[in-house]
Parts: sequence; structure tokens; C-alpha cells
Amino acid sequence: MKIAWFYFASPSTFYRLAGWLAPWFFALAAILGAAGLYIGLFVAPTDAQQGEVYRIIFVHVPASWMSMFIYFVMACYGGISLTFNTRLAAMMARALAPTGAMFTFVALWTGSFWGRPTWGTYWVWDARITSELVLLFLYFGFLALANAFEDPRRGDRAAALLALIGLVNLPIIYFSVVWWNTLHQGASVKFTGTTMQIEMLWGMLLVALSFWMYSIGASLTRVRAIILEREGRTLWARALAT
Amino acid sequence: MKPQFYIWMSYGMTALAIAVEIVALRVRRARSLRRIEEERDLEAQD
Repeated sequence: MKIAWFYFASPSTFYRLAGWLAPWFFALAAILGAAGLYIGLFVAPTDAQQGEVYRIIFVHVPASWMSMFIYFVMACYGGISLTFNTRLAAMMARALAPTGAMFTFVALWTGSFWGRPTWGTYWVWDARITSELVLLFLYFGFLALANAFEDPRRGDRAAALLALIGLVNLPIIYFSVVWWNTLHQGASVKFTGTTMQIEMLWGMLLVALSFWMYSIGASLTRVRAIILEREGRTLWARALAT
Repeated sequence: MKPQFYIWMSYGMTALAIAVEIVALRVRRARSLRRIEEERDLEAQD
């Protein structure tokens, strides 16, 4: 089956498609989140070394993964908008940034509240934590740059360029625990396997999937508002505001 | 501090951040629609 990509790249078509899809993604996020948190808080056993406080990982690790993954997807959309000059890709990049920033903030916050009882401090200028903070500043920079121009298309191009340059930070975050002697522990979940207990792993993966579905739902909802802001003078957009 | 304090501060902030984002999304969409409506009414008056 051939998908008419250019048909869906039209803002008016995508506006309707996003409106139809977003509630499904939010519903999936709620179901997966409830299941993941139930496993994480009630089924998964207490950690032998960290005790109950380890349960923070069920939000901390998925939020950290999403902070990096959303940035990657945002930079891809930025690259597509720069290469093909597509309006919708730039709008999607803008729509993803606040959600990515929110997850980065949550990753830092929950990491702090995990660090205090386990390391004895809320904050340390460790390579993993500092590079995650740089990621938060990259999101802020993207948002500030995108909104700094009167012409939104110029803002799109400048922000997309920043997003692409900032991509270099992602491998730094991921490999920081390997490259440097950090206080932050190494990865427990790798592509090759895991050292985690199975219930802990399932709880964490379900919450990660929930955050993923939520991010898609939130970005689709936000891109609808962005489309309305930019296409407000078109007949189809005016017909909506009745 | 008890472990529960650290756990609920983490889960609480996550829930709050998501709730704030959902409210912000609704407000932004409503504002966009209102702006279109206002512009259309102004043009109709002209």
C-alpha cells in the first residue's frame, strides 16, 4: 500500500489527523502508565542495596530516556525542515521541544531526589548529570531561538540548526558513565541484556512506553495549536473557530 | 528523611509537570481559536 506522505504533510490534513490520533495516544499512555506504576510500586520487590528509594527509577529512567529520544526526533524534524523546506516538520520540531524540556527537568529533579538518600547529595557536577543539564539548556535555547524572530520561518531555520548542533550532546550523555569516572551508575538496561530483576524491568519499560505515548499525544495536540497560529488566515482554520 | 519523602517528591513532581503541560496545551489551543475568531470578527466589521 502506498502512503500519500505529501497529502499528510499538508497542515490542514495533518490538523485533522492529529486531532483524531491524540486522544488514542493519551488513552494508551494512561493505561500503560497505570500498569507500569502498579508493577513498580506494588509488585516489584524492595532493592537489596537501596531499599524502597530505588522505586524512583520507575519515573527517573523513563524520563531520562524520553529526554534524549525526544531531542533526537526533534533534531530529525529540524533536519527535514532545513533540507526539504517543509512547514510541518518545523512545526513538529517546535511541538516536541516543550515536552522534551519537561522530561529533562523531571529526569534531573527525580535524579536529585534519588541522589540525596543514595549518594548523600542532591547535586554533583558529575559528567552524566551535567550533560543532562546541558540538554535542558539546549531545549531552552531551541525554544528561545524559535520564538526570537518575527518571521516564524526564520525562527524555524535557526532553531533547527541549533537542534542539529546540539545532537553532539546525546552520545556524551549516553557514554558519559563509560568515558569518565562518574558518581552516576552505569546502564542497567542495555541492548545486549539487563542485570535487573524481571518485575523491575517490566515496570520501568511500561512507564517508558507510557511516557512515549504521552509525548506523541502531547506533541500532536501542540502541533494543532501551532498550525492554528500559523494558518489562522486560511478559510479552513477560520471555519474551525465558530 | 524517610524514603517515602524522596519517592513522593519524585512522583509528585512528575505528575505536576505532566498536569501543567496538559493545562498549557488546552490554554494554547483555546487562545489560538479565540484569536482567529477575533480576527474574523474584526474583518467582518470592516
